[in-house]
Amino acid sequence: MTYRLRFLSLLFASLGILTISRAQTPLDGLMMPKGEICVALMYEQGTWDRYWEGSTIRVNQNIGTFTRQMGMPMIVGGITDKVNVILSLPYVKTSASAGQLTGAQGIQDLGLSVKAIVLEKTFGKGKLTGFTNLSLSTPASNYLSDYMPFSLGFGANELGIRGIGLYELDKGPYFRASYSYLHRGITEAERDFYYANGAYYTSKMDVPNAFLSQVTLGSWMFNKKLRVEASLTTVRSTSGDDIRVYSMPQPTNKVDVDRIEGFAQFYFGSNRSFGIIASYHHLFSGRNMGQFSGYGLGLTYQFKAIN
Amino acid sequence: MIQMKKYSYISLVVVLLLGMTSCMEDLPTKYDYTGYQFSNLDANAGQWKLILHTSNEQISIPNPAAAGSAELLKELADAKEKQSKATSAQREAVAYWTNNPLLRWNEIALELATKYNLIPAPNADGTYPVPDPANPSKYPKFPYSHPPYTSRMLAYLSVAQYDGLIMAWHYKYKFKRQAPYQLDTQIKSAYETNGLYSYPSDGAVVAIASRDVLTAMFPLEKEYLAQKAQEHLESLLVAGIHVASDLEAGQLIGAGVAKTTLSRASTDGMKNAQAPKAISDSIKNAAKVRFGWVWENQETPQRMVGLVPLFGKVRLWNVPHVEAIRPGPPPAPGSPAFQEAAAELRAYADKLTTTQRRIANFWNDGLNTYTPPGHWNRFAKEEAVVSKLSPVRTARVFAYLNMAIMDAGVGCWDAKYYYHYPRPIQTIPGFKTILGTPNFPAYTSGHASFSGAAAEVMAHFFPGNASQFRKWAEEASMSRIYGGIHYSFDASAGLTQGKQAASFAIAKAKLDNAE
Repeated sequence: MTYRLRFLSLLFASLGILTISRAQTPLDGLMMPKGEICVALMYEQGTWDRYWEGSTIRVNQNIGTFTRQMGMPMIVGGITDKVNVILSLPYVKTSASAGQLTGAQGIQDLGLSVKAIVLEKTFGKGKLTGFTNLSLSTPASNYLSDYMPFSLGFGANELGIRGIGLYELDKGPYFRASYSYLHRGITEAERDFYYANGAYYTSKMDVPNAFLSQVTLGSWMFNKKLRVEASLTTVRSTSGDDIRVYSMPQPTNKVDVDRIEGFAQFYFGSNRSFGIIASYHHLFSGRNMGQFSGYGLGLTYQFKAIN
Repeated sequence: MIQMKKYSYISLVVVLLLGMTSCMEDLPTKYDYTGYQFSNLDANAGQWKLILHTSNEQISIPNPAAAGSAELLKELADAKEKQSKATSAQREAVAYWTNNPLLRWNEIALELATKYNLIPAPNADGTYPVPDPANPSKYPKFPYSHPPYTSRMLAYLSVAQYDGLIMAWHYKYKFKRQAPYQLDTQIKSAYETNGLYSYPSDGAVVAIASRDVLTAMFPLEKEYLAQKAQEHLESLLVAGIHVASDLEAGQLIGAGVAKTTLSRASTDGMKNAQAPKAISDSIKNAAKVRFGWVWENQETPQRMVGLVPLFGKVRLWNVPHVEAIRPGPPPAPGSPAFQEAAAELRAYADKLTTTQRRIANFWNDGLNTYTPPGHWNRFAKEEAVVSKLSPVRTARVFAYLNMAIMDAGVGCWDAKYYYHYPRPIQTIPGFKTILGTPNFPAYTSGHASFSGAAAEVMAHFFPGNASQFRKWAEEASMSRIYGGIHYSFDASAGLTQGKQAASFAIAKAKLDNAE
């Protein structure tokens, strides 16, 4: 039955960078068996009232408190015991409590991810598992990326490749680490001139690529009905410009994030087929990014689709 | 085994996708054009009417060394050596500057306008600092290159280039010294051989005039501009189109026209344009008494003084006096005409089409951009290349274009602070916009005024595309309504005002011997 639990933690891990730009990034070390399907509905809300302009923190009273909400349906399917597919399609809404600029809302990016086990080894009193993951996401509506901070996302395709290692003790505690490379494409602005450490005569904007790393400590509790985790996530863009003084952010910015997150998950129902999720996250440092804090909630239902 | 295959498959996909995305083209940072054959050498341009100078020999240059003289032979030998020993960086510079380098200097000006177009952030106590030209590096850096500043910067730059090139053309056809590639067959021209006389170097005139005007306008860029000018001057030798004495004479003219031009700039009233609060308040009160309404900045903390309240007093180029293009009053807030305009704004805000949003953003040209004057300069640059204009005729287009744009701006700012009309976010409760509302009154629209003037001048010089330019001006005007920051009467009055400003420039252009 642990696959159910494992699957849910995969959902959790996807929360890791939700407020950064992406809907889902399956960083977890858990898999579903062949023929199982899980549907999930996630909600997340993050707010900030300060942001980093480059590395300098700024308060802007013409934004006040910025709020970003996201609702995300998600489907995970076990193709084989060792290969899973994940689909997600978030709806995002942004707004500011002050100032005159209007917020935005709409469907963000369609995400497709394939994850596979590449290594399994018993090690002392636990098990070491290695995974790899390949993800693709693409804007699923014509939202304008060049309307930051209100834009729903950065408006470009992203290809992600990850390595994930999980060491899990038989008694419940586990440690997980992952390292991801996120290759982003070009986003299209509605102006054909912009400044990014120099003039650009095009409507195409190069969204910086990034490395994402995450370490997680967690444990199963109460006969595997409850699980708790604490994570540290860092994102480092490999290029990009800084937000200019008292100016608007744009998709070309070098976005860095350092974030902590805690969550709990609880299982119930016959055969523990239902799950609820609660999480909290906080950005403690960053670059060209709002200092988000927020929470997430989720409901999951898992069933056997093919015998 | 099956797993292994799947994993290999995934790896293959990754490699392919990364391979595809990593060979993406570089994004353009400048206009892509090369040196070209001029459609007309404009041999009589030395007789065209100067803007700020009274005589085409007002700046004198030495008589050039004669063909065959030892002095010139030495210069040709030096140029030949320079060309044969050119580094790849020097050859790149030759390709970059082209034989119509005014376009590059205009492009540099637009980039600097963008770089300095940042609005001051509030102090901790809620007040706002103002750039100080006497201490340009202190935050906020000088200048704040907002649309009026940029329009004026471009006008002085273009006028200096134009007067300098008229003089250069005069001397070229007076002395008729052939180009190095004509005097010595071993010297190759890097560009199409136009057969233009080489003394003095028109490129050197443009390099130094541009360097000096832009240095005055962007004092913190002095070293950058000097380095650009040096690279440009060197490229003229490497390109095989000039010898050292051509450059020296051209530099004399460039420095001279820049001096005259900057002398006018220093007394045109711009230094008083960012009025102190007391004067700003008296302007505001005058409007309140006269009309019963008043514009107030809506930011937090509130900016107590709008952007350059006295730009409307800055010296005009071709419009006789600012009242000549001042429109009648806008409809009073609350009046039926106002209600109709406000309802239109609410309707757009409720349901903006993708096309309308695109227009609003395309023409936004707000902070951290080259502003509407810059946008129209970009169009002019592209038209000059398409029409294969000679350098002097290119300069003429830019000079009249930018004089008209600045005159329109002065007229627009006069109306803005004379009428002091509130913005939609002030008059419509709870109104939200997709564009930031600028820190100055609504009536008339700067976009409409700048664009109306620019489109008419462009239509005059490039009549084949007249309808395109006018369509763009209409679109630029509409963009502010879609964006929620102007009423339709701001836009229509601005367009008319811009056209009026242009008519004075065009009337002058018709009499300058170039048509």
